[in-house]
Amino acid sequence: MSLTGIGKCRKSEKYSNEKGCGMKNIVFFFLILVLAIQPAAAQVQEEFKPEDMTTFMIQVPHGVEGSGLAVGGSNLSAYLFFESYYDGNMNVTMELDLPEGFVLQDTSVYSFSLQTEYEDWYRLVDFYVPANLSSGTYNITATAVVEVGGNKHTIVRKTRLKVASKEEIAEEIEISGLTVPSDEDGYGDPSHPSSTLVVRENSPALKKLLKVTDLRIDREELTSTYIGVELTNKGDSTVPVIITYDVLDIKTGEPVKAFKPAIMGMNSDTLCYATLTLSPGSSSLVSLPLYISEDAMGGEYLLRVKVKLTGSDWVAVTQDQKITAISRKWGPIIITLVSSLLGLTTVSLFFSRSKEIMDRFKTRNLVLISLFGTVSFAAINLPMTILWELSHAVFGPFSFLFTGLFYEILLYMLIASLVVLIPKPGVVSLFMMVRFLLGGFITGSFTPITFITLSLSAVLLEVMMYTAGITSKNPNPENRFRMGIVCGIADMVSGYASFSVWMVLYRLFYSDWYIMANILIDGFLYTFIGAWFGISLGNRLKKVAE
Amino acid sequence: MIGARSIAEPTIKDTIIHRMDPRAKILVLISTAFIAVTLDNPETTFLLFLIVLSGFALARMPAIKIKTLTLLLVLLIWGTIYSQALFYSQLPRTVIFTIIQPDFPVLGWLTNGGLFVYEEGLRHGAIQGLRSASILSLGLLMCWTTDSRDMLNGLVGLRVPYSVAFMVVTAVRFLPIIITEVVTVVTVQRLRGFNPKRFGPGIVKTSLNILTPTLSNCVRRTGTLAVSIQSRAFRANPDRTYLKKLKFSELDKAMVTACIFAAISIVIIKLLYNMYTSGIYYTSGLRPVYAIARGYL
Repeated sequence: MSLTGIGKCRKSEKYSNEKGCGMKNIVFFFLILVLAIQPAAAQVQEEFKPEDMTTFMIQVPHGVEGSGLAVGGSNLSAYLFFESYYDGNMNVTMELDLPEGFVLQDTSVYSFSLQTEYEDWYRLVDFYVPANLSSGTYNITATAVVEVGGNKHTIVRKTRLKVASKEEIAEEIEISGLTVPSDEDGYGDPSHPSSTLVVRENSPALKKLLKVTDLRIDREELTSTYIGVELTNKGDSTVPVIITYDVLDIKTGEPVKAFKPAIMGMNSDTLCYATLTLSPGSSSLVSLPLYISEDAMGGEYLLRVKVKLTGSDWVAVTQDQKITAISRKWGPIIITLVSSLLGLTTVSLFFSRSKEIMDRFKTRNLVLISLFGTVSFAAINLPMTILWELSHAVFGPFSFLFTGLFYEILLYMLIASLVVLIPKPGVVSLFMMVRFLLGGFITGSFTPITFITLSLSAVLLEVMMYTAGITSKNPNPENRFRMGIVCGIADMVSGYASFSVWMVLYRLFYSDWYIMANILIDGFLYTFIGAWFGISLGNRLKKVAE
Repeated sequence: MIGARSIAEPTIKDTIIHRMDPRAKILVLISTAFIAVTLDNPETTFLLFLIVLSGFALARMPAIKIKTLTLLLVLLIWGTIYSQALFYSQLPRTVIFTIIQPDFPVLGWLTNGGLFVYEEGLRHGAIQGLRSASILSLGLLMCWTTDSRDMLNGLVGLRVPYSVAFMVVTAVRFLPIIITEVVTVVTVQRLRGFNPKRFGPGIVKTSLNILTPTLSNCVRRTGTLAVSIQSRAFRANPDRTYLKKLKFSELDKAMVTACIFAAISIVIIKLLYNMYTSGIYYTSGLRPVYAIARGYL
């Protein structure tokens, strides 16, 4: 190829390129024009189809799809819902048409605009069904006039509301099952006795202790259990209901507050309910939380489950069930358990090492302890066998003010004087043992309570006297104040344990103030006085012994 | 007149109850105590009480003992009824009488809202009183049908250390003497114009005046008694022989076995039932056991 030929060719190529670029620009321009014009053209072309491009719904009462049920005197809400699937502006005018006799409590006509696809509008329209409205099925109509692009389209929705008499409704709804306690879903839990609630303590210290003993008591909140309620709708209308309950005093019928305590400052009525929409011919199970405050008392109660129709305060159905609340006080149970174990351990230890223990005492010591035991029996136990019962019968629980004179002052006089005469560890235990066995043989008082309280009292006195230096290696038993304090504290503790044992083993009740008064007056004051004068008695007897 | 003697002294006869081995009686008493504190069902508790009372008929107790027993039981049950009528803390409870009004100055506050007599508490007290009544009755039946020496032999037979049994023997032996001494001291004081039965602030002085001479005699007696006992080889040998050998009859064995079996069974059943009601332990296999506990125990 010649140079001229090459130059020609390049020129022609440049021309061809310029021409090609011009064509491309034109095609590109048209393409953009087509793309820009196409949606607008399509929009203009789309036809608004009211049924396809909207959702329009009416529920009367709210939550009920299909035919609803109401009783005269109800305040109900009709639920109107409108949603657009049309990508454009629409103006809607909605009108709710209630049958004659119904009292509308809002306006019946609503106008609104929806600007874009998936935008919606809803309203709860309150109305009242008069109490004297005759029973029957009423048609309720909602009409929506939709204006799109200057064109108006009308959509109509109809529903029916059956207004029934109270008797008819009461026959249609039935509580077909009531399970107490139940699980969270309302089903019965066989691991808990039916119709029984357990009232538990809420002490953090106790919870810690129980955790150690592997007795789990999770009480982070007040919820104790659930009530399972099964409802059946025997009618042909959908029924919206509210289920509530009350725990009543079985005798007075008054609600018991301890079973509906305030929760986070709120009345628990705001939490103890369930709503349910019952389809015709169906059954449903709901669970209701049951809250129990720790000060709830044990005993028999009446659980009353109430079913109300939504919108009405009238209780359509009630069902009563007798329930038992068991008040399980773990404090006294643990104290009884510990005291019993302590008593049994001490006796076992004594039996296993009886020779070593008894050899520490001279024969005259044993004889003296026996004789003191006899005196305590003759001066305290024997007269008190009748006087104790008699004073209980006359003074009732306040008899401790009288019996304490014997059981505390006289007894601790003897104990303190015995310790002054024989200041050795084990003296008090042997004295208590002789008293226990003597009481058992003579008056038949081999009771678990006597065993537990005497053994606990003996252990406490021994430990405290030894620790306080009264019966230690260098004994100093003649300090009246120390003796009084030691005996007083030991008797207070054993007195408290004794009440726990009575409450647990004999299922007796005592008020806290009574226990407190008893252990302060009987347990400390009388004991202190007895121990104080027991030192004088012991010193006098010491002179006799010398 | 019901006095200390009618309470303390046994009536020795030849009945089926009297012939029972003292060890068997102690074991039956312990088993019954366990049963009594375990039961909750009022009917069963009452049945237990009736069974115990039937022992008195079998033992052909004299009228004075029956009178004593009746008095003690009435007082015991009434005392329980009284206290429970005031402190009953279960629902429902119906106030039948107000002792302290809630707004009564000081006492109303002190009693934490007043003091009332509750109708349901009376019933509860009567039921719970049966528990103590059963134990007391059986204890008295045991004491009134057994000589104290036999009872102590029974204790030693149940492996209670001899030294302890000896102390109790000593206490029992000296009981009549000391009661007589206490009575003498009281008589002397009354002759001197002092009223030892007057209660009040002078109770401490009264007690000291009674106890000092009584215990002084005890202290004096101790030395003599100790020498006397030691001279008879007390604690000289580890093992002792006894004049009277105790022997369980077939009836004793059957009674003891039945009572211990019943006590263990009832305690276990109630324990399982309480664990179930407290939500501690449940197993479906134990449903019949729970049903028995709930219905009968």
